[in-house]
Amino acid sequence: MAGYTRMGLSVALNTKNNAKADVRVAQDKEITKVQELTYELKVKDVMTTDVVTVSPKDTINDLREILRTRRIAGAPVVEGNQLVGIVSIEDLVKCLARGEMDASVEEKMTKKVETLYADEPVIHAVRKFDRYGFGRLPVIERDQGKLVGILTKGDIIEGLFKKLQIDYHEEEIHRYRASHIFEDIVADKTRLHFQYNIVGQDFNRAGEAASGLKKTLLRLGFHPQIVRRVAIATYEAEMNIVIFANGGQISASVQPEYIEIEASDAGPGIPDIEQAMQPGFSTAPEWVQELGFGAGMGLPNIQKCADKMDLTSQVGKGTDLKATIYIKERGN
Amino acid sequence: MTLEEVKEILKAEVITGADTLQMEVKMGCGCDLMSDVLAFIKSDSLLLTGLTNPQVVRTAEIADIAAICFVRGKKPDEETISLAKSKGLPLLMTHLPMFESCGRLYKNGLIGCSEYKE
Amino acid sequence: MKLREIVKELGLEVRCAADNLDKQVSAGYASDLLSDVMANSKKDSIWVTLQIHQNVVAVASLKELAGIIIVNGREPEEEALRKAEEENIPIMLTKLPTFEIVGRLYKLGIPGTA
Repeated sequence: MAGYTRMGLSVALNTKNNAKADVRVAQDKEITKVQELTYELKVKDVMTTDVVTVSPKDTINDLREILRTRRIAGAPVVEGNQLVGIVSIEDLVKCLARGEMDASVEEKMTKKVETLYADEPVIHAVRKFDRYGFGRLPVIERDQGKLVGILTKGDIIEGLFKKLQIDYHEEEIHRYRASHIFEDIVADKTRLHFQYNIVGQDFNRAGEAASGLKKTLLRLGFHPQIVRRVAIATYEAEMNIVIFANGGQISASVQPEYIEIEASDAGPGIPDIEQAMQPGFSTAPEWVQELGFGAGMGLPNIQKCADKMDLTSQVGKGTDLKATIYIKERGN
Repeated sequence: MTLEEVKEILKAEVITGADTLQMEVKMGCGCDLMSDVLAFIKSDSLLLTGLTNPQVVRTAEIADIAAICFVRGKKPDEETISLAKSKGLPLLMTHLPMFESCGRLYKNGLIGCSEYKE
Repeated sequence: MKLREIVKELGLEVRCAADNLDKQVSAGYASDLLSDVMANSKKDSIWVTLQIHQNVVAVASLKELAGIIIVNGREPEEEALRKAEEENIPIMLTKLPTFEIVGRLYKLGIPGTA
């Protein structure tokens, strides 16, 4: 049963009786892998490069022929190499109804075109499709704005499946999965979540969480400068837990626009947060200072790296720290 | 400045990374306290430190430090060395104290983090 | 070289014991680990560190160091300043990090300890 996603699974379960437990493990792994892939894969990895285009001077009649023979539902309008508009089957139908088949594409096209950059991660495309409801998005090159491809939802799904090496030719499963996997990605699963358990007082292992998170984020294709800030903030938070508490948890929530790190422990708590935020202020015991830590730079460092920081603590209960680092999306 | 030049100037021995001596370091930083290292160090720098526990290697990894040179003849333990090896991080060691080490490198043209314009 | 000249050349900010700047500086020592300074520093050296708490004054006093330079634009703690004034040990500040300030001291001719 391994290799089936949750959606494909419902169909399979209706026809076969299989142990749910095995299957659940497989499906969770599969869904996580898909989520990760939407960050790893770039638009250029999944788009169609053989783009059918029309010219602004073509007529709507010409457009009809092109859409019919090439079996597509829309086309970008290009002049030279530049994208100047987009025209779809809806525009064609309107013209048919009004008898305007001799009008030029230029008159009827949508001039303000939503586009994708070839080097953007697929997750951006997914969210754009969700936001605008378009059937296709033209892909342009970042430097010159040259049209380099076109992307449909189907391309994304096919690209993901190919990468997962699932045999998607099983017609029945394919159709069912295809429609649901997209909704799932959009609905809830556009964020990734990583969790680490921190062992208190263990100086040998301290830093493993930060190091692991850094590797993962680099693999997912985030900008090295962003990753660096996340890594440093996480490392400092981790060291605080190791030095002062008896262990704790660090979690990283990765969204397309930001990464949020949460570090929590049931340690002694911080009596005066304002004081703790002063560079140089430290309550670390001397043996820690001899190890090179406890210089009082931890919290200020986190604040410097993060765009937003929230620190709450109760003496005797524990401490919770949230740090947010924004990822700049172009233009938005 | 290459690690080879650093080795020459500080009369240092190579603990690990002998095959990476052509690597360029763009600036130097002398620090015994890891949090301070993280506060201001920039990537591609050479860290001079007297601290030899594995955390130094982790800090280097987190901050993209290019190489570490231990001063005052301090030798890191086996665990630190193998961690550095696994991360491809070169380790050198000089018997010179921190002051002399920073001084010589600065005199020979290696700038500090605050002077490096990205 | 006298402390006074060093302060002038490097643009250091003197925080206390300003009347004790005529001491001759024989060498420089850079370390943030107190035990290390206790073990290896020499009398009349100038100490470069980013530690700001009062223990640095105790160490400087015990080892008869010429003065303390605190780096990275950090501010010494109140207690540290008070003790330093008492012991007549000058505390000077610089915005530069250790590497750079040591480099400049070295270029001025202050050697490290042998």
